[in-house]
Amino acid sequence: MGMKGRMLAAFAGALVVAAVAVTAAFGARQADPGVTATSVTIGGTFPLTGVASLYKTIPAAEKAYFDYVNDHGGVNGRKINFDILDDGYNPAQTVPLTQQLVEQTKVFADFGSLGTPSNLSIWGYLNSNKVPQVLIATGDSYWGFSYKKYPWTIGWQPDYPGEGKIYGKYLDAKMPSAKIGVLYQNDAFGKNYYAGLRVGLGAKKSNVVSAQSYDPSQTNVTQQILALKSAGANVLVIFALPTQAITALVTATKVGWTPDATLLGNVSANRLFLLAAAANGANVDGVISSAYTVSSTYAPQANLPGVKLAKAIIGQYAPSLVASLNQGDGNVIYGLGAAWTFVYALQHAGKTPTRAGLMAALKSMHNVNNPFTYPGIRMNTSATDNFPIEQEILVKWAGGAGGDWTPFGSLYSGVR
Amino acid sequence: MTELAQRLGFANRSRRVGTGVSIPVVIILVAAAIFLLVGSLVSPIFAQQTVAGLAQGAIFASLALALVLIYRATEVVNFAQGEMAMATTYFAYQLTLWHLSYWAAFFLALLMGFLLGVVVQVVLIRPVQHSVIAVVIVTVGLFVLIDGLVTWKWGADLKFMPAPFGNQVYHVGSVAFSRQDLGTLVVTIVSVVLLWVLFRFTKLGLAMRAAALRPASAALVGVRVNRMLAIGWGLAAVLGAVAGLMTEPTVFLQPTMMQAVLLYAFAAAVLGGLESPAGAVVGGLALGVFLNLIGQYVGFATSELRLPIAFFVLLVVLLVKPHGLFGRKQVRRV
Amino acid sequence: MSRRLAIAIACFLVAAAVVVLLPFELDGYHEGLAAKVAIFFIAVLGLNILTGYTGQISIGHGAFMAIGGYTTVIMSHDHHTNLLLTLPLAFVIAFGFGVIVGIPALRFSGVYLALVTFAFAVSVPQFALKFSTFLGGSTGIQTATAPGHLWLYVVSWSCAGILFLVAWLVLRGRTGRAFRSIRDSEIAATASGVTLPIYKTLAFGISAAFAGVAGSLFVLATNGFAQPNEFGVFLSLELLVGAAVAGFGSLWGVLVGAIFIALLPTVSADVPLIGSAHGQDVVFGLIVIGVMLLLPTGFAGLLQRLRTLPGIRTAEKEG
Repeated sequence: MGMKGRMLAAFAGALVVAAVAVTAAFGARQADPGVTATSVTIGGTFPLTGVASLYKTIPAAEKAYFDYVNDHGGVNGRKINFDILDDGYNPAQTVPLTQQLVEQTKVFADFGSLGTPSNLSIWGYLNSNKVPQVLIATGDSYWGFSYKKYPWTIGWQPDYPGEGKIYGKYLDAKMPSAKIGVLYQNDAFGKNYYAGLRVGLGAKKSNVVSAQSYDPSQTNVTQQILALKSAGANVLVIFALPTQAITALVTATKVGWTPDATLLGNVSANRLFLLAAAANGANVDGVISSAYTVSSTYAPQANLPGVKLAKAIIGQYAPSLVASLNQGDGNVIYGLGAAWTFVYALQHAGKTPTRAGLMAALKSMHNVNNPFTYPGIRMNTSATDNFPIEQEILVKWAGGAGGDWTPFGSLYSGVR
Repeated sequence: MTELAQRLGFANRSRRVGTGVSIPVVIILVAAAIFLLVGSLVSPIFAQQTVAGLAQGAIFASLALALVLIYRATEVVNFAQGEMAMATTYFAYQLTLWHLSYWAAFFLALLMGFLLGVVVQVVLIRPVQHSVIAVVIVTVGLFVLIDGLVTWKWGADLKFMPAPFGNQVYHVGSVAFSRQDLGTLVVTIVSVVLLWVLFRFTKLGLAMRAAALRPASAALVGVRVNRMLAIGWGLAAVLGAVAGLMTEPTVFLQPTMMQAVLLYAFAAAVLGGLESPAGAVVGGLALGVFLNLIGQYVGFATSELRLPIAFFVLLVVLLVKPHGLFGRKQVRRV
Repeated sequence: MSRRLAIAIACFLVAAAVVVLLPFELDGYHEGLAAKVAIFFIAVLGLNILTGYTGQISIGHGAFMAIGGYTTVIMSHDHHTNLLLTLPLAFVIAFGFGVIVGIPALRFSGVYLALVTFAFAVSVPQFALKFSTFLGGSTGIQTATAPGHLWLYVVSWSCAGILFLVAWLVLRGRTGRAFRSIRDSEIAATASGVTLPIYKTLAFGISAAFAGVAGSLFVLATNGFAQPNEFGVFLSLELLVGAAVAGFGSLWGVLVGAIFIALLPTVSADVPLIGSAHGQDVVFGLIVIGVMLLLPTGFAGLLQRLRTLPGIRTAEKEG
């Protein structure tokens, strides 16, 4: 090769190197949507108005946690921006709002969206656009099971059928000849809880002497309670939303029925609701439910790091929630716990976080200790296990009209 | 446009006043009462479901009374009746937070309800009262507005008021009657009686009836028609407030507390006849009992069908008696 | 060709041109919003035929939307029918249900009719919950494929255009005259030979059919997911509000009414302070009340009033 040829070759080589360097730099700078050098933007849809709006403390608590993290340097130097949108528990609104988050706001992930129908209406869209749909606030088990078809979706809380199974196992062990009466909401939420109960009872599912459903539009469940009582049940199991759960407890007492045991799905087991039931005349001592978070009111837990952290964060970043936290509103701790999990995953999603990295972090948790979960509970996920929390503790109410939930027994594990 | 407004505004005003209690209806009701009595004596669960149904029905009845009063006074249906009731209940709650006793808060809330009703009628309804559709839409807007304002001020989480009648339960045999349910029933009946006395025996009541039925003639004899209409709405709002306060012990305080009740109250009001207060009460109680008994004894009638069943009953009754059980047939002049 | 007809055709062509050119300017998300306007346009058009032109109040059109929507989803989910083909099917099935509701409705008028249709609106979603194996229940039911923004835009506006022409032709002709005569005076209509039951039921059927198509598109715009919460009472009330803002008895305001109910929530969300969740409710409520108090005859009435302004009057006379 002559001089000219060598120069040409060198020049060509330099061009190639330059091109590679430029594309590499370009590629490196092209982060996932929602990620800049100083921020990560996420968003979620929540029922801030309408029938399910009593859950709006959850996104408020989550925001408080993110504010706290942002004040302490954020995650790898990035602050978390959290867009909270109101879908009124109506999928016809969830869809356009989510599209807005993905296509306009260009969020990094859909975080914490609440409600089963709402999440069902968007999981196809989010998965086909490869947008993470993470730590969604619903206890249905679809998210845990469908990870092959919907790999970008993952829940957080222990699922309702799993919880129902615990109650079934408890009854099978402790009250094998009980006559069980079940009150459940007539949608998937209640039906799935009830199905779990039957799985847990195993061969004893014939102990269920009556199962009465109610429609969410019904505010008075007297007719169902009466039916359960007249069927001879001596154990009452309630899988209901708060209003109907409280009225069920009150009505049972009012019609002169004292079941040997009452089990309550933990969705309605917020301390506030039991206090209200007691104030309205219900016998609440001995009611059993389950828990997976720390309690902000149960005295022996007052010095747990999670409890102290919760009080500090809410006190400083969400003062409007302080009153309900001090009365034992579990939704606040729930929000903090879910937000903590997101921050953990974000920290492990790469120095410049990517969506794929976020999902990988969420799906490879090994004995992760979330300070807001009940002591002893660990978050575990894997390629085949898409349920982050699968442990719960049973709690029993003591102290009547000013009392609280008291944990008893040992942790139930592997509810799935 | 005016012909349309008139058509939709149902402006044909020639009809007779008062409730049309026809013999067949009375016979059916008496027969039903006997059926319920016998059933209750035979089966305790039947008795308990009936009592529970009456309690539930009393709540429907109390809101239905408000709807009927508005319809009698101004011939329109107020879609915001439930929300107005809800707002006054929240007001009572706020008063209890400011350390007033329950009953002081109760009566102050009734007063507030009256004012609210009057203001709504004067400011929002009067400009559009010639058209049914326009009033419906204004009340829809009011529905959403009130909902937004209440959620803004008090939030959407469950709140609780002290129990008005205490928590005692009385037992007759194996049937339990709660003091709360009895109280609600008594309050509802007292409201109907007071209303009846007002319309029958007082000058104000007479003036209100005249203003509703023959506004032109009434004006000629010196009745301040507009003022009567406003008072009518005020009284209806008071009834609504009572309904809200009686509903609170069963569903507690949340912005959506009256929405389901409103639906059943519509059914009860139309069932009894939109112009008949007694009809509203009978309709409400009957609906409550019917739904409970059907739920207990008919397997297919599961909880999802409660609302459709209520409206199906309504449809059947209307097909036979287009103006409700106690409604009078209206003669329309061309 | 009369001057009015010429103006009408010109307006229509201009609107059509805007609709065709708009997607080149809009991104996917805004195409979705524009499709939403078309969907409400169709529904409000249908409601106007029943309430504005025939004088029968309906607060139940959300139920007909539900019927159309569920038809589309079930056909797609169970039988993998092409999504486009489900639209005429929804039209026909909703028409049938409209006739079925229209027959007992013959007995009622005014407030009672409003409440009967309201009862229908409340009951229909409950059936989806009751027959959950067939209709999906509370976990809803999903079409086999979910359409994208552009597909929705094109199909919704095409349907809107076609159905607008259908409405215009129907209302111009004998049927339209019969409808209007029923609205103005039933007794006079009967006296001049209009068989009330047939025309009143027909009005219900046509109006329901329009709502059915709107419902199909509505569900498709919700990622093809149908669930009872989407068809609550408020949807029917919203349609009525849209028809009132449009102005009853006229086709020209329908677009304005549709824009109002489709876009107001999105627009008010960006307003600070008010943009919060309950703030939107407050704004919507205030605006609805304000429109009814200030513009009781709706946008169409406004147009009417503008047309009688002096300058335009003389121009028309000359033409």
